[in-house]
Amino acid sequence: MSVFETIQEKLGVTEPWLEKGGVHWLNPSPLSVRELAKAMIALNARFITITAYQLPKEEGLKLEYHWDLDGQLLGFPFLLAGNTIESIYDLSEAVDWIEREIHEGFAVDFTGREYEPLLLREGETPGVNLREEVKK
Amino acid sequence: MSYKIPMGPYHPALEEPYKLDLICTGETVTDAKLHIGFNFRGIEHLAETRNYIQVIALMERVCGICSNIHTLTLCQAMEGLTGLTPPPRAQYIRVVMAELERLHSHVLWAGIAAKLMGFKTMFMTCFELREKVMDVLQAISGNRVNYSMNRIGGVNRDIEDPIALLGMIDVLEREMVKKVIPIFTTSSTARSRCAGIGVLTHEKAISCGTVGPVARASGVGQDIRKAAPYAAYAEMDFEVPVQPDGDVKARLLVRALEIMESCKILRQALTKMPPGELASGGDKFTFVTGTATSRVEAPRGEVMYSVSWKEGARNPARVHVRTPTFATMPAIRWMVLGARLADTPLIQASIDPCYSCTDR
Repeated sequence: MSVFETIQEKLGVTEPWLEKGGVHWLNPSPLSVRELAKAMIALNARFITITAYQLPKEEGLKLEYHWDLDGQLLGFPFLLAGNTIESIYDLSEAVDWIEREIHEGFAVDFTGREYEPLLLREGETPGVNLREEVKK
Repeated sequence: MSYKIPMGPYHPALEEPYKLDLICTGETVTDAKLHIGFNFRGIEHLAETRNYIQVIALMERVCGICSNIHTLTLCQAMEGLTGLTPPPRAQYIRVVMAELERLHSHVLWAGIAAKLMGFKTMFMTCFELREKVMDVLQAISGNRVNYSMNRIGGVNRDIEDPIALLGMIDVLEREMVKKVIPIFTTSSTARSRCAGIGVLTHEKAISCGTVGPVARASGVGQDIRKAAPYAAYAEMDFEVPVQPDGDVKARLLVRALEIMESCKILRQALTKMPPGELASGGDKFTFVTGTATSRVEAPRGEVMYSVSWKEGARNPARVHVRTPTFATMPAIRWMVLGARLADTPLIQASIDPCYSCTDR
């Protein structure tokens, strides 16, 4: 069984993988980000980073969670309806700084965790760095 | 009674500003908090205001030590969006530049570590060696910091006489084997300052998501050059040094052994370098709409770039950079727990931190 089939089986997702731009993408829906993180940790995958995007107009935000398993770069996109998503910091301490950075850069609220400033913002307002409506 | 000792943001042991608040009981560190952001330049936002040529020059300035690695990772990602594949000679030149950069970074770090140990002679020896590497980088690129070697689809400059560079590698390897490695591994000064100090356990190295020599010194044998080869690394024969102890000595040893492996890679790349073009595509290429991601093994570990573009746009829609120190630095907190206060400058330096990379 390939790495990709193993992950699909572990996640219970039947949607096919899509290899694009150097990443193997899988839409993890309907899994939550915490269910995904638990499954990836159980497979001994290594957390790499989260990339945040502000989508055009009123489409909201997208977070891409990147994990590495046996040298394969895996990507799992999550669309945020509002500004919140569950934190996975209690599952993997490797996400601490990137969750804090995205909170400060994009004003995303990772629920279920405490924040300390990462000093990447001016004053107390999150989102000054990369949110379109603020950075202009 | 516990008390707080702030180290930084400006401190003789720090090459760049950051702050470590050490909570101590007597001489023992019981907790630590890290504060970064003193070098924040908003580079990811700036990248969205630069075109495909300017953004290369911008990202080269993320870091003053691994500048070449940043442009390599960015160009590889942009090549994913343009469909360009660099010609074989360019792939070899990229390997040569990446390994020369690893050499100068590791030797620089060894010098700084020696200085923090109070071993000034060794500091001078390492910096003399580093100069030889820097001279070669200057001879190839005309620069000593920002080399401007990478472009979309290949490299900007050729290495006209690769065989002539082998002499420098022989000298460096000889000095490492005869002086640097034996002194760092056998001298009582180095042993007393490094062995058993600043231990990061294998389990913590994994849970913190550490990368590069720090992870490898804690027994985590991951290296992107092997796991997901890029440029011409698939054609190179080399080992990935791994040490199990997780202390400062293990980090030192891993980097020393990596210098030897870099020499081995350089020798292969220089002797087997194929003839041919330096870049493909010329000036005629277009970006497709989408995101491309690239990973490279920098001297400090894995760098990852995600680059998004909209077809027809001059500037990227988004550039996200995950640098190795960003992943590794939080582990300092666990390394200094239980350490003597006097050892903390060397412990934090042992991860070879790059604060400019971390803050961007």
